[in-house]
Amino acid sequence: MVGKRGNLDLLLAVDVAAERLGLAAGLALAQARAMHPTLTAVPEDQDADARLLDAIADTCQRYTPLVAVDPPDGILLDIGGCAHLFGGEEQLRDDLLARMTCLGLSARAAIAAGIGAASAAARFGDAETMADASGEARKRLAPLPLPALRLPDETVAALARVGLKRVGDILDLPRSPLAARFGADLLRQLDRALGREDEPLTPRLPVPPYVAEKSFHEPIAREEDVLACVERLAARLETTLTARGAGARRLELALFRTDGAVKRIAVGTSRPLRDPQAIRALFVERLAALGDEIDPGFGFDLARLSVLNAETCADEQISLGTREDQVGLDRLIDRLSARLGRRRVSRLVARDSHIPELAAASVPAQAITRAEFGWDAFRRFRAKAGLSQRPLRLLVKPEPIADVFALVPDGPPARFRWRRALHEVVRAEGPERIEGAWWSEDGGPARDYFHVEDTAGLRFWLFRAGLYCDTTLSPPRWFMHGLYA
Amino acid sequence: MATGRLSSSSVAQPAARIDQLRRQLGALEGPGGHAGECGALLALGNPAIDGALGGGLGSSALHEIAAAREAEVAAASVFALALAARKTSRRRAPPAIANSCKAGEHDGAISVPASGLNVIWIAEDLSLVENGALYGPALDGIGIAPERLITVAAAHTREVLWAMEEALRCRAVGMVIGEMRPRGIDQVATRRLALAAAAGSALGLILYTAPDDAPSAAVTRWVIGAASSPNAERGHGIGPPRLLARLVRNRRGPLGTWIVEWNSVEQRFELATHSKPMAEEAFDRPHRTAVA
Repeated sequence: MVGKRGNLDLLLAVDVAAERLGLAAGLALAQARAMHPTLTAVPEDQDADARLLDAIADTCQRYTPLVAVDPPDGILLDIGGCAHLFGGEEQLRDDLLARMTCLGLSARAAIAAGIGAASAAARFGDAETMADASGEARKRLAPLPLPALRLPDETVAALARVGLKRVGDILDLPRSPLAARFGADLLRQLDRALGREDEPLTPRLPVPPYVAEKSFHEPIAREEDVLACVERLAARLETTLTARGAGARRLELALFRTDGAVKRIAVGTSRPLRDPQAIRALFVERLAALGDEIDPGFGFDLARLSVLNAETCADEQISLGTREDQVGLDRLIDRLSARLGRRRVSRLVARDSHIPELAAASVPAQAITRAEFGWDAFRRFRAKAGLSQRPLRLLVKPEPIADVFALVPDGPPARFRWRRALHEVVRAEGPERIEGAWWSEDGGPARDYFHVEDTAGLRFWLFRAGLYCDTTLSPPRWFMHGLYA
Repeated sequence: MATGRLSSSSVAQPAARIDQLRRQLGALEGPGGHAGECGALLALGNPAIDGALGGGLGSSALHEIAAAREAEVAAASVFALALAARKTSRRRAPPAIANSCKAGEHDGAISVPASGLNVIWIAEDLSLVENGALYGPALDGIGIAPERLITVAAAHTREVLWAMEEALRCRAVGMVIGEMRPRGIDQVATRRLALAAAAGSALGLILYTAPDDAPSAAVTRWVIGAASSPNAERGHGIGPPRLLARLVRNRRGPLGTWIVEWNSVEQRFELATHSKPMAEEAFDRPHRTAVA
């Protein structure tokens, strides 16, 4: 694999055959070509590398929720507290390596007390260093080269110039001259590798507050099995959620395929939910909507149900009447949202704007509570400003109308053509002038709205953008904006 | 089967026998299977129209509305929302209207459950692009609070149908309106919706963007167009929504054509009395046309 570093085409990685020929990463391509003219050079693809790394990290998510990507070629797992689930640290590492081998990847793994030490051991250590998880950090790190400390290239080069090549060379040097000459960064990295300073791991995915998972000896592939599993996991979550007085607002089901791919399916709810049956029903809709997108391949061998967002959900008595209705409606909204998509099920909300297309908006019904609709404020505004009746249907975008003929320049059109049909205006009301957003650069001109009716009784809401008196601008244009009945 | 056994038995009293058979037929058809079993009646608040409907529209049944043509979808939308306003508002129609109708026909028109105040409007994406989406600030003017409306956008007709069926089964919903183009909806689909409507308490309304004459399980079918404002008022501006409503199929009674205005304050349809003479007559059963 070849890539450009500075002005030079360098070998970035070599396969086994090339290694046998004496090539190594870091060699200039021209030099390598001179040695072996038949060399096959493949340009690097950083995006693909990043995607692959991400996919591998996804696979590793099965061991612990705390997984971080360490570009360009590393993955960090915080296995504190979960190693025993796999029979111990050693077993976990062996399992991980075996899985990587199955995927056709060669990997090195090391376990250590901190990120610095683990990274150094995995990247630069020999078999013995990697295996020795509990040994004293100083002893393990001493023979490793300085790049193991994750230092910038310039620092490594500067250290090499004064003859410091291994970690052991700087371990016992006085600290203040080192910091003065090579920067405080060097000492910090050294401290981190030695475990003197803590380094937090930033997981690539947020850690969900509630998780239940189940692994299968025999992979499952059928939809019914997956759903049954969802219900069992949800029942387990319910116990925890009830104990904490919480309910799920957003749930994610992660299905780990045997070949390493991970399928994630998320559903949202409009009120805190913990009833396993209801959770299952949501996933039924989601799976039906996804259809073939969930490709089980050779089956899933681990399923994990996580609550991504939880909210407090007081235990309440379901009483008769409106309360029950509200629950029923929320269930319906959840089902529709799960199947059709969250953004497709919406409620109309009033916005604080005088520009007609901005005055109302659709907001996902799951995301909103009744208090936020804002229509009361709109009604007060309408009463005060004496707004005219608005059209029942507003076009997605104002559509230009042609052949407009108006008796007086500022008056309503007597005739216009919209969507190829010519309309003769019989009656008109207006104008209602709505000023553009004058405070903004692209606010647009003022609009004069007219409510007109044509010979067939069709009623339209159309406007003229711009005024005739303003000769400096281009002549006004007419638009169709809405339809009345 | 029960019918087989009965047909072989001797018939003693024809009247009692026929009565028995009717009951069995009713049981076989199940709820909502036929006229008469579509829940409480939803009166439109106008004696002439309610008379033709035998009291009103079945309020847990499936009905169809078609816009007379694509450009008149707004008129059909007003009709649909007006029905929704009548169905879901807590206030009842003034008693004077009920009294002015023939007695006996309006027993069922009184009680609509107080719950189920929500209206669900499901529309196909293509229709939204073509005809625009419902505009919140206008809804109060029709008499329906925007807070009570939930809008659903669906990519395909079959998703509209699925969502309608789900919504019809929900008790909290009073009205389900599904807006789609009149294409590819077979009788099985409308039958499913009719059954779902009968099982729940909501009125199901299919809103076609153009007339459609495919067979359907709906109880009534309307073609709604725009009507001109009265000439007398020329120069006096544009009045309330004015519709030409044609009832082109009615399982429970005669057909009819009316020009109506929607009075959003009193929430009822009013015949446009000062209009030009009647629009065209119902074409298929002229002898049963109800003339306003």
